[in-house]
Amino acid sequence: MTLDRDAGSTDALLTDLYLDALLAGAVLEAAATGSPDGPAARIDPAARQAADRLRRDLVRVHPSFRFEERLATRLAEAAVGLRLPLAAGGDERVVPLRGRPTTEPDPSVGPLDGDTPRPFDAGGPGVAADGRRGDAAEPTIGPDRRVAARPFLIGGALTSAALSIAGAAIVAWRLGRPGRSNSPMVRAARAVRESRLAAVGDVNSRRHD
Amino acid sequence: MSAPRRAADSAAHPTRIAHLDRDRSLVEAAQRDPLRFDALYRRYLAQVYSFAFYELGDHHEAEDATERTFLAALANLGGFEERARPADGEGASTFRVWLFQIARNSIAHQRRGRRRHPEAPLEAAALVADPLDIEGGAAIKDEAAAAWRAVGRLPADRRRALVLRFVEEMSTAEIAGILGRSEGAVRVLIHRGLRSVARDLTSRRGTRLDEGAPSAAMSPAAETREP
Repeated sequence: MTLDRDAGSTDALLTDLYLDALLAGAVLEAAATGSPDGPAARIDPAARQAADRLRRDLVRVHPSFRFEERLATRLAEAAVGLRLPLAAGGDERVVPLRGRPTTEPDPSVGPLDGDTPRPFDAGGPGVAADGRRGDAAEPTIGPDRRVAARPFLIGGALTSAALSIAGAAIVAWRLGRPGRSNSPMVRAARAVRESRLAAVGDVNSRRHD
Repeated sequence: MSAPRRAADSAAHPTRIAHLDRDRSLVEAAQRDPLRFDALYRRYLAQVYSFAFYELGDHHEAEDATERTFLAALANLGGFEERARPADGEGASTFRVWLFQIARNSIAHQRRGRRRHPEAPLEAAALVADPLDIEGGAAIKDEAAAAWRAVGRLPADRRRALVLRFVEEMSTAEIAGILGRSEGAVRVLIHRGLRSVARDLTSRRGTRLDEGAPSAAMSPAAETREP
């Protein structure tokens, strides 16, 4: 059994060597010079004839010119579609939005009634994953907040709602529309707006004083 | 065969599809700028189409499979990784192996659709004669048709290996990469395929093409795999 398998493998290897020579044109040259040495002399003559025949008769089939050009056009269109994102920053990095680090948790952006406080909520903004607080701590976003603070991808360019015109328009629209939303994004924007208004009020009152 | 033994065998005889990739510069250019994919498309269109045609036996289906192959290749070109090693020598192309793996999947997809909407099997002799017929007439090359019929009667894996070896002139290593086999297994497939073709041609020698030739020669061959 093992001997048979070995013999079969040897035959297959010899046939492979013969086909290498045949497809490279070396067999024809050897036949022309009258020196059929090498694997050709050692493989089954019927298999050799079949190989010669297949080399001659199995030809490559070419598609029509019309099909070639139609597919080329389609590929070019697809390539243009792929090219646009690349041109707009294909190697973009996702930058997490950062809130203003504060030392005191802002009650207006706290958990809603009925929410279960989670470790991040308990620590408040400005608390690092390792428990550091304040300016020394890099403000981090907990796993739940990461979803809420996900940056927008508009027209292939990375931006944030707080900075982009589109983001500002969306925030203004959501603030102004009836039936105010209580989503974390809106609450955060509302808190910033209120704190800014309060700050402006303080400045004005000081000027009057 | 036990799992450790199999692992040891595969480590000792890894599938060697990596060669110094002759397409490297074209692939890198296309990865930077997808419009440059056109050069790769022009280089391999006929090969992919030919492979699809020999597998499916129908020009329209071959066109569909070819189109699907190149669109998928363009869309996924960013994920293609060069696996060339200088020690493997020159000549072959890992991009071509990757492209033909996609083509093989596209052809399988096309064949599944055909099973859902079966069509009458096509006449092999006419199919083979058509690309050979430079004059555009109806002359049929009897020997070519007979050879193709013999190949068409082979089990799928043997037929595929022979087509890749003779039509696409691929190395055993490349075929192994496309078929997901070891080089030794591919050699055996080709060797057995050749012997089957030889027996077939010998036994049918002298018979006319239009006598007793099974019209199912180009129908989807049984998707059997060699042990």
